Formats: sequence, C-alpha cells, structure tokens
Amino acid sequence: MKRKLTGFAALAALAIMAQAGTAAAQDCAVKVGVVYPTSIDWGKPIAATALWVTDMINEAGGIDGCKFEAVLRDDQSDPKVGVDAAKALVDLDKVQLLLGTVASGVTIPMLTSVTAPAGVMQMSCCSSSNRLTQIAAEGTTKGLWFRTFATSNVQASVAAILARDSGYKTISILYKNDDWGQDIAKLAAAAFEAAGVTVVGSTAITDGQPSYRAEVTEALGAKADAVYMAIYPKEGISVVREWLSLGGTQNIIGTNSLKSDEFKEAVGMRYLANFQGTDTSTPRTDSATAFVDAYTAQFGAAPSGPGLPNSFDAAAIALLAYAAAGKDAKGADIAAKVPMVTDPAGEKIGGTVEGFTKALALLKEGKSVSYQGGTGAVVFDANGDVSAPAVAWAFGDSGIEEKRYIPLEEVGAFMDSMAK
Amino acid sequence: MIGLISYIAFFATMAGIMAIAVLGLNLQWGNTGLFNGGVVAFFGMGAYGTMILGGRPEAEQFGGFELPFLIAFAGGILAAGLMAWVVGKLTLRLRHDYLAIATFGVAIAFESVTRNAEWLTGGAKGLRGFPRPFEAAIGDGFTYGLVFLALVLAVLIVVYVGLERLVRAPYGRVLRAIREDEVAARSLGKDPARMRLQAFIIGSMIMGAAGGLYVTFYAFVSPQDMAPILTFQLWAMLIVGGAGNNRGAVLGAFLIWGAWTLSGFALARYAPASMQLYAGSVQYILIGLVIVGMLLWRPQGLVPERIGKTFNDRAAKAPTNTGAHQA
Amino acid sequence: MIQNLVDGILTGSIYSLAAIGMTMVMHMLRFANFSYAELLGIGGYAALVFDRLFAALVPALGVAIEPLTLTWALVLAMLVAMVITGASAVLFDWLVFKRIRAKADALSMVFASFGVALIVRNVITLIFGHKAELYSQDIAFAVVLSRDPMLLVKPDQIFTLVAALVLMLAFHLVLTRTTFGYALRAVAENPNLSQVSGVRLSSMVTAVWMIGGGLSAAAGVFYAMTNHLSPVMGHNFVLPVFAATIVGGIGSVYGAVLGGFIVGIASGLALMVLPSGYTPAMPFVIILAVLLVRPHGLFGEDRDA
Repeated sequence: MKRKLTGFAALAALAIMAQAGTAAAQDCAVKVGVVYPTSIDWGKPIAATALWVTDMINEAGGIDGCKFEAVLRDDQSDPKVGVDAAKALVDLDKVQLLLGTVASGVTIPMLTSVTAPAGVMQMSCCSSSNRLTQIAAEGTTKGLWFRTFATSNVQASVAAILARDSGYKTISILYKNDDWGQDIAKLAAAAFEAAGVTVVGSTAITDGQPSYRAEVTEALGAKADAVYMAIYPKEGISVVREWLSLGGTQNIIGTNSLKSDEFKEAVGMRYLANFQGTDTSTPRTDSATAFVDAYTAQFGAAPSGPGLPNSFDAAAIALLAYAAAGKDAKGADIAAKVPMVTDPAGEKIGGTVEGFTKALALLKEGKSVSYQGGTGAVVFDANGDVSAPAVAWAFGDSGIEEKRYIPLEEVGAFMDSMAK
Repeated sequence: MIGLISYIAFFATMAGIMAIAVLGLNLQWGNTGLFNGGVVAFFGMGAYGTMILGGRPEAEQFGGFELPFLIAFAGGILAAGLMAWVVGKLTLRLRHDYLAIATFGVAIAFESVTRNAEWLTGGAKGLRGFPRPFEAAIGDGFTYGLVFLALVLAVLIVVYVGLERLVRAPYGRVLRAIREDEVAARSLGKDPARMRLQAFIIGSMIMGAAGGLYVTFYAFVSPQDMAPILTFQLWAMLIVGGAGNNRGAVLGAFLIWGAWTLSGFALARYAPASMQLYAGSVQYILIGLVIVGMLLWRPQGLVPERIGKTFNDRAAKAPTNTGAHQA
Repeated sequence: MIQNLVDGILTGSIYSLAAIGMTMVMHMLRFANFSYAELLGIGGYAALVFDRLFAALVPALGVAIEPLTLTWALVLAMLVAMVITGASAVLFDWLVFKRIRAKADALSMVFASFGVALIVRNVITLIFGHKAELYSQDIAFAVVLSRDPMLLVKPDQIFTLVAALVLMLAFHLVLTRTTFGYALRAVAENPNLSQVSGVRLSSMVTAVWMIGGGLSAAAGVFYAMTNHLSPVMGHNFVLPVFAATIVGGIGSVYGAVLGGFIVGIASGLALMVLPSGYTPAMPFVIILAVLLVRPHGLFGEDRDA
C-alpha cells in the first residue's frame, strides 16, 4: 500500500511540476486567483465579469509593466472543490490575491483554512453570510478579507421604507432558503414591523423543487396587500409566474437579486408595473449607469442576474490595490492599499479603461483615488464589509429604471429608529 | 518547492479523509452488500456532531460546548452510529434497490434539517469551527498542514487495519455469506438481520469519523457540505478502486479525488478562454464518462475482491479475476 | 385545503406519467435508475427545439389555442419529442445498461445510472445554457372555480391533467387489449417463462424504454408548460418519481399512477404540517411511511429481485 501511495504521490507531483513548468515559461505575468462557480447558471457571468475587468486593467497598463493573469477555477458550489482550487492557486500558482467566491459555505472554509493562514488577500463579490462579519470581527481573517456585497440590512430597510410609503398594511415574505435568504427575510420582517407593515406570512423557497405551487398557495392564503420576494431569478420565474397566475397581488417588492432581464422577460413587463426593487447604490454619480453601458458594450446584453456590479467592483478594487502595491506585494501589502483605492477624499475615477489608466497613474504617484464602481463608491469597514446608500428601481421597457435615491442618512435614520 | 509539498499534503489530507469514508462504505457494500445511497448523511452527522460538541457557543443556539477535540470527535462518531441504528432498523429489511432510494432520501432529509433547524445547526449560514488540535502550539502554517495530515493518516491506518482484521475474521466470512446467500447463512444459525445492522452501524460510524476530521480541518460546516454529490464521489472511489477490497477502496479515493482536482486544474490551464466558463459542465461529463467507462471495462474495479466469489452467479457473470489481480 | 388538494392532483399527474415508465423499467431490469428522470429534461428540451422550428416554418401553428398557452406547434413538437426521448432511452440502454447487465450485477447499473444522469444533465447545459426557457412568455391566468372555499385552477393545468389521463388510458388499453400488451405483461410477470413461450425479451426491453421515454417526454413538456425548462429539471424529479414508483409498488403500472397522485397530494398538503423549508424531504417521508407499512409498496409483489 505504502509503495503505491508514494508512487501515486510522485506521479501527481510530476504532473503538477510539468504544468508549473509550462506556466513559468510565460514571462512577466502576475497571477491572480479567481474562484467562482462557473458551472452554475448565475456563476458564469460573475466570473466573466471578473475576467473582463482583468483585461481592462491590463489594457490600462497592468502592474509594474506586467500583465495580470487571471487563473479561473470552478468551485462547483462544492466546498471541497472550492477549497482545493484555492489551495492549488495559493500553493502552486503562488497567488497573493484571490477573488471569490459566491456561496458563503464555500467562501468561509476557503478563507479560514487556505487564504487567511497563507496570508493571501481574498475579496468576494457576493458572499452574504453574516458569519463572515463574525469571523472577521474575531480576527481570524487578519484583515485580509473584503466583500463588495453590502450587508442585507440596507436592502431590508429600504424594502420597509418602500412598503410604508406605498401604503401597504400587510405583506407576505417569500425568501430563498439559503444563508442570504434566511438572513434577509429575518431582517426584512423586523424592518416591516418597525415601519408599521404587518408581516402575515414568511415562506421558504428551497432550490431545485419541481414545483413551487404549494409554497405559493401557502403565501397566497395570507391575502396580503403586497409580497416581498427575496429570491433568485431561476426560482423567481417559477414563483412569480405561479403567484400571478393564481391571482396574487402585483404589488411586489423585490431584492436586487431579481434585477435580471431573464426574470423580466419570463414574467412579462405588463405584470411588473407595480414591481419595486431595492438595491444598494452609488452616491449620485453616473458610475452605475456607466457600468451598465460598458457591460452592455462588452457582452452585448445589459447586466442581468445577481452580483455582476459587485463582481466588477471586487475585481477592480482588488486589482488596483495590487497594482498600487507592486508586483512583488504579499497579500497583506495589497490589503493595506485597498483604502487608497476607496478613499472618499481621493480623485473620483470610473470603472472604464480610461478611469483605470488614470487611477494607475495616480496610485503610482502615491495619491489615493475614489473608485466609483457598479455598486457605487465602495468603502470597507474593519470587517471588510461595505454599507452603501440605496436605490429603488423598477422594470422599464428599456431595462432597469432607477426610481428613487435613498441617501445613507435616511437608511441610517430608519435603522436607528428600528433599534429603539 | 514548499508550495508543492504544502499542496500535496493538503491533497493527501482531503483524499485521506475521503478514503476513510470509502472504507466505511466498503464494509457496507463491498463486504455486506448494503447499498447506502445516503453516505453524505452519516458523514454529515459525524461532522455536525463534532462541531456542535466541540464548537464555540453561539447566541440563541444549542451546542457550542467547547469539549476537547477527542471527546467531540468521539461524540460525532457516536451520533453517526446512533443515526445508522435508527435508519438501519427502519430500512435494512428492504430490497436492495429500495434501500438505495430510502437512504438517498435520508440524505435529502438530513440536508433539509441542517438547512432549516437553525437552533441546532445554524441553518444555511452553517457553524464555524473550533481551534484545530495543536494549532495553538504550532500555528496555522505549513507545519500544521503536515501535522494534520499525520492525524488523518493515523486514523486511516487504524480504520484500515481494524477492517482488515474484521473481514478476515470469521465475522467477515459470515458477512460475505449473508451477502451471497442469506437463506444459506440463516440455515447455519446466523442472524442476518442483526449482522447486517451491525455492519451498517460500524460502516456509518467510520463515515462519521471522516466527517468529524473534515470539519475539524475546515473549521466550518454548512448545508453546502451536505449535497448529494459527496455520496456520488465516494461511490465513484469505491467502484473504481474495487468493491470488497480495502486496498482498492483507499486507492480509489486517491485516484478519483486526484482526477477530480487535476481535471479542474488542467481545464483551468489548457482549455481555451471561451471554453473556460463551460469547464464545470465539461468536468462533470468527463467524470460521468470515467464512471460509466470503468463499469463497462472493469466492473470489479482496479483491485478486485480476492475471496469468496466462486459460488454464486455474480462470479459467473464477472470474468474471473485471479490473473488480473495486480495489487 | 381544497386548493392544496387540487394542486397536488395536478402536480401528481406529471409524477404519474413519469413513474409509469420508471416502474416498468425498474421491474424488468431490476435496478433503481437514477438517470431515468433526466428523460424529462431531454423531452422538454427536444420539444422546445421543434416547437420553435415548427412555429418558424408554419407561423399559423404558433398561435395559442385559447384559453391555453399551448400551440399546435408545441403539440406536434411534443409528439416528435416523445419519439426522440424514447429513442435516446433505447440508446442509453444499448450503450451502457445492456453492456453492464451482461457483465456485472444490478447494483453496478444503479451506479452507472448516476454517471449517465451526470452526463445527460451537463450535455443539456452545454447545448442550451443554464438559463430558464419557456415555451410561451404568456402567463395563463387561473380561473376561479369557487370563491368559498377559494379554488383556482389554470386552464393549462386542466389540459395537462386531461392529457396525462388520456395517455394513461391509452396505455391501459394497449396493455389489456393488444397482443403486444399481453406480451409486455407476461414479460413483466415472469421474464423467463415468457421467453419460453416465444416472447423476445430484448425487443420487449426496447419497447419498454420507448414507452417510458415517450411518457417521460410528455411529462417533461407538461411540466415545462406549467413551470419552465431548466437543465436541472430532470434532477429535481428524481426523488418524487422514485417515491411514486415505490409507493405504488415496483412493477405495478396502476400503482405508479396512484403513487404519482399520492406523492403530489402529500407534497401539496405537506406545508400544512411542515415548515416550508422542509418540503424537499416530503417525498422521502412518504417513501418511508409506505415502506414501513407495506415493504413492497401498495401494489407490489413480494418477491426477490
């Protein structure tokens, strides 16, 4: 047995070294690990967006005269696969920066067992679990962890503000049965009650069910004025079509996860007139629209599906910080440069090749910039979390239309009123 | 070079943990003929059991007793055994394909509980782990990887040697006799139901041990770890390695996990950029082809069972494999 | 309550259709086929391709038949999809299961079916992408059948229920009135004896795969009409269809029909007892409950496989 084991280990080592050899032949590339669930429907565009940003930053000048080389790995939303991919990227490709991933159940073991121990910086677009805040607060992540996904508090509060202002008295909640959905459903329920909207029911929507008819019937039974949907487009299509066809109210408040053309087309514009969406936003700049335009130009379709602006910003901020730190930087050095990229006092730069070119030049001079990305002017707190002002949006004939801007102060005031 | 060693140690740790679970499965299927379609549930019971006993306290949640690692680990194994006892009592009298489906359902139900019973399992956000054994003394760097690998290999060796003794003992012969011909075994005064239940429980406890090591290493567990794909991966390891042979089971674990990770590695490196985004689907297709191809080409596995296949129609169907035996 | 019951019956008819083929295949070939439910996906997507094709060739076919969202193009496409799906089921058997049957035991087949399912699902993903697809963008509004108690039903669902029942009846007539049906039942009862009396087992196996594939394709199309198409739809059906088969008793066609409705209704009523997050476990609870009372299902026979 032993003999075979050593034999196999040697074989694996040989194979890996052969691959590492070919990789080393490419001169002057700074490798960056990208781990996203590319085998999952909404994971693919998230990964494509990160690769696109890498190309743009390379076009804008790259890092110390070298190019970034994004090494993309699929985590299959399987913790074992994701952690293995991260470990291979860190140990074999020697990356100092890792972008990823979506499912918190994969992100957390990657962070606690691979990147944080190895001193590699990790930035995620979309992991939403509040476990991450807890782990960061305990110091496990050594300040190497960031995410561009605003905590669900903001969106939940905005949903409550919208429901109150629309005059809804009762509301029914439908939520995705995962860490994000369970979390936001709880936060939203508290926020609705604080805003004087009675929550008459809360129904979990679990992935991969053949039919959601029973769940929808259950939620319909409560006969609420409005429905709050914290679900993803795939289940959302099934659930909303079922909901509408059974005569459910068209007074829908949805989370940013439903900001998707796929959803809009499958449900149909004429049923979405009373749909109000919530999202986190930028402080009154054009950067969000700029992102949409640039994305449309790149992929031939407007960004649709959850997490795309977040993925864009995660890649842009992390790579700009890397470029500022220089090509020999370690994870901690890159993390130390992140505040320089997101400095509210810095010069505003947008998420375009021109913007990146300017940012790279300013950062080289040791000046800080204020990156205005797809999700706005992101600023991280000590736990790597972002909070942001919010926006209410709706589906329009030409795409997503912004309806109302809710400044951070108003969201904050509402949250404070809840705490009392 | 350190990076390479570090990665290989990590790889061997994961493969070793899975090899332990495959050994448990081999006792159930290879030696006793019980088709467990819900391996992940027993693996998960060990994982959650260890985590709840050894983990740190959380607000509004049961568990977090911060027990020492060995006690938490043993508790997780016992929890897996307890669940196997209940499940076994209910399902072991079923026909084998019913058993496969019933246990498959057990795994789905178990995942449902971990996802929803927030007071116990933390719900979808999962449970965060406890400091790993010796971590405080050695730190969490390169050396620790080797120490944990040693721990996993020690457990693997204990399980391997224990099972080898068990199946070579008269007990193992009785298990195989029941597998091959239950009526004959009963006529010899053996109690097949009892023996099967015992094998099912022992096998499940071994899977639970693998689960306990797994969460200790990752310091985190969530319903994401409870997906049916793990059952599939472990079965693939057993089938490719050779059911009924413990060496085959271990070899299969290292081979399949190696193929699984290397294929991801290779696709990341060599597939054209436009194909990168489809790499996940391609990888699943390749893995499916390996499984099906293996069953077509060599259904008895790379390292076939060596004993006790001469008197039934299974052996008559499968080509005799004495010559092919190449361990 | 009434609404849940009716919903359960409507969903159940789809499970029933899929379970008919499953029960015959499981009975004749003696293995739990985890790839069987993927046939629903093949059928659904094949129908999508031909639906678009027919509607493009003859635009008149693309008009919905009021009050349904169904078009004649889709009806034709479904028939083509049934043949294609049946043929692919035969092809899988010929490529994989038949060869493994000759070499190894039944449980290797169970495992091979895991592998086949993985391949089929991901090939569909590669061809059609992950995106949800719909035959018709229109939402068919439910008709209020009764206000107190509130009872709503969609015309499409009534149609799928009726169509499913018609298919089942047709199959029943084939089984009971034709020589072919007698042969099929004989093989199902006792493969060895029927071979002695001149029934060719191999052609019967092919026939069973064709029928199973065809009915599954219909189930897939009916499902997609009232929900949507996605590459994982077959996978989502694995447990409910197994449950329907086992509840009815493996080998019993009528049991499978009844089992489908039982699973559908029980899932519909589940939310009245269980918190909503636990619905995926419901089919399993039904399986266990039935097996505890009747280890061979409601109509199954006590015999060793």
